[in-house]
Amino acid sequence: MSASLERSVIAQQITTPDSAVVRTPSPASAMLFLYARTFSNRLKSQLTRIRSPRYVAAVIMGVLYIWWALFRNSRFGGGPLAMLARTDELVPVFAAFLLLSAARWWIFGAERSTLAFAPAEVQFLFPAPVSRRALIHAKLLRTQIAILLNTVIWSVLLRGDGGSLEGWRRGFSLWIVFSVLALHRLGASIVRANAIEHENAGRRRSVVPLLVFAGLVGAVVYGLLSQYEALKVAAEAGMRAVGNAILVALNQPIPSYALWPVRALLEPVFARSGALWITAAPIAFVILLLHYLWVVRLDASFEEAALEATQHRAERLQRFRTSQMGKSRSRGGKLARVPKLALTGRPEVAIAWKNVAAAMRGGAWRTQLIAFTLGLASLAIVTRSASARAGDVFLGVTMGWGAMLLFLGPLWMRFDLRLDLQRLPILKTMPLSGLQVVTAEIAGVTILHTLTVWSLMIVPLVMIILDPSLLTDSGLTIPILFSVALAVPVFNALMFAIQNGTALLFPAWVRLGAEARGFETMGQNLLTTGATTLVATVALVFPVGIGALTIWLSDVLDSPLGVWSVLLGTVLGCLILALEIWPLLIWLGTVFEKTDLSDVTSGN
Amino acid sequence: MIEVDKYTKLYGDTVAVQSLSFVVRPGDVLGLVGPNGAGKTTTLRALAGILQPTSGSIRISGLDLRTDPVAAKSRLAFIPDEPALFDYLTVTEHLHFVARLYGVRDAGPQIPVLLEELELTAKADALPTELSRGMKQKLAIACGLLHQPSALLLDEPLTGLDPVGIRRMKETIAARAREGTAVILSSHLLHLVEELCTRLLVIRRGEAVALGTIAEIVEARPELAGRSLEEMFIALTGSDAGQTATA
Repeated sequence: MSASLERSVIAQQITTPDSAVVRTPSPASAMLFLYARTFSNRLKSQLTRIRSPRYVAAVIMGVLYIWWALFRNSRFGGGPLAMLARTDELVPVFAAFLLLSAARWWIFGAERSTLAFAPAEVQFLFPAPVSRRALIHAKLLRTQIAILLNTVIWSVLLRGDGGSLEGWRRGFSLWIVFSVLALHRLGASIVRANAIEHENAGRRRSVVPLLVFAGLVGAVVYGLLSQYEALKVAAEAGMRAVGNAILVALNQPIPSYALWPVRALLEPVFARSGALWITAAPIAFVILLLHYLWVVRLDASFEEAALEATQHRAERLQRFRTSQMGKSRSRGGKLARVPKLALTGRPEVAIAWKNVAAAMRGGAWRTQLIAFTLGLASLAIVTRSASARAGDVFLGVTMGWGAMLLFLGPLWMRFDLRLDLQRLPILKTMPLSGLQVVTAEIAGVTILHTLTVWSLMIVPLVMIILDPSLLTDSGLTIPILFSVALAVPVFNALMFAIQNGTALLFPAWVRLGAEARGFETMGQNLLTTGATTLVATVALVFPVGIGALTIWLSDVLDSPLGVWSVLLGTVLGCLILALEIWPLLIWLGTVFEKTDLSDVTSGN
Repeated sequence: MIEVDKYTKLYGDTVAVQSLSFVVRPGDVLGLVGPNGAGKTTTLRALAGILQPTSGSIRISGLDLRTDPVAAKSRLAFIPDEPALFDYLTVTEHLHFVARLYGVRDAGPQIPVLLEELELTAKADALPTELSRGMKQKLAIACGLLHQPSALLLDEPLTGLDPVGIRRMKETIAARAREGTAVILSSHLLHLVEELCTRLLVIRRGEAVALGTIAEIVEARPELAGRSLEEMFIALTGSDAGQTATA
């Protein structure tokens, strides 16, 4: 395909009768050529790595893992997550979840705009006779690579459902959902950018979408609040009752109308029959179409507002669009403050500090942490004040969220070697050993993520403050809290060591850079998390075993430690885990020292 | 002092640099010149410890870069042609970072002096994204000079600088050499090389074709006598061969 494209591009240049006449530019074919060649050359470059034994081993392990994760259960309807698609009762809950997730894009901006242009694209395409709309279309097409892959993964995971819906129908429905989410994220980030960039004019243009979205979220929140008493009663009866109460709340007229567009988008995925799918799919497709038109129109207006079409302007836009959730400077020009680095002391601390600064200025980590902690504290007060049972339920939800953070956090927080390997020449000239560099890189993110997870402790703390008797009557609760607090940094160190080790061992295959991706790569992220969890599980067998043995022995021998034997077991388990991580760091240090520039640059 | 002995770098079967040997003594400024793809950047990157030599040895201030890399690197500074800076550190924070990394004594009073010398004082709190190309280059140079390296490796140091910046940079390089720093300067600007360098190393296709002062090179190749440096460069590297053939 690429060869024919190449011919068509050349043909346009040579079939002009008079060479002096300006040739008709063909941006679409040129862009298609660019992306097709980039994709195929990148793939070729990555495949050539298989000559290295390290990469061969990775391919074998990867194939086995993907088979195990996706196809181990060949029974029809037996996809690992197929049960999720067996009931359409959960549609309102999923719809509310998606709507509230989208709120994050509107409040903080998207992590990474799909309209972010690479420096080479800015240099070649912006001054070229290519309309901005053509550029947008090319970018949207490019996003489709990730979306299609994600669709395939989720189609396999959700396959089956008793034969009620053919695979292609569910796949098509999922593709619509992921495409709409990607477009919505993009649209939200442009509207937000517009409001910030063009101040009053931008705000005027952004006010309608912002009001619409705020109205939808408000309706859902209203629905939940209006059923507060029912939710309070349900909390006494357990999680299932709470779930049912939430469903009732969301099915009330106002939240139901507000959620209708999201529900309509999700209906085809959960359709119980081909006939139902036929009626639901066109509506979802219309929603996709509307999103597409919205984004294209938004960006046109965004660009029209720009008076300068110079390279400088393009670069400024580029920087603006690639900025992460937070901006380094506030609108007043104030720079996000970071802890001061002492000029003397251990040099590796400088690397960890640099990464902390990047997280604070590039990822708005502190702002999010404060908002997150305050939100949790408020919810803890509300639920505990409602009833002890509601408080327990919220504590359970917090613990679940904490467990998820432990596994997913290292995938999101990438201010470590995954960011710095792109600057390998700088790292290589530093007067530090490989071990020092690797340890410092992992330490920075481990500290940040540990603080993030520890912030969840605000929930039990608030509950103890509200009811001090919990301290005396808690039984195992307090020793467990201490144990969790102790285990979190060691576990985080393990998870970040695995993530950084993967980047260091396979720099040509691992995506480098700080940006986490959006919904369109949810399936890929799920597989990556699964693989990381498997490796972590192997590493945890011995430490957890020793910890459990200690607790058991303490119980059997009737140790005077009593419930505090949990803490002793955790201490021993953490020590064993630290002893496992240390040789891993030493080894990764030697890998770093042997890593050549060409190992990194060709893959990224 | 920089000592390079039979340094060779292969990429698979491709020879990037072939058995290169030379010494740069304290106070010397060695001009590294050669046509595009001659192996200049590869050589500089190897000297900076970024690339591992396939064979041969490199010593910085008597310290072997392969066997004692940390100590050797603490005595050198490499300033690449494309300044690679950290997006989220300000100008001053970059210098604090380097001070800590290299264990610089009395960095506190040195930093404002260096900022002033490189005309960065007004940009002390700016992030790299807020700097022009030239300013970024100056910051990279400031970072390289802060720990007072005994070996300074510069790859096209004048790229992006304005005329005043160029003059200041030349003064800075000359001053560092006078203070006893061994400097290697890679550049296509032959007038700069002629003005600043005490010796020349001309490489072509990864091999040294001339090494020494201009007088020493002319002594070894008498046919170059009376020619300008540009003409010498063309004669030594055969850069006009292709053009002549095409013509």
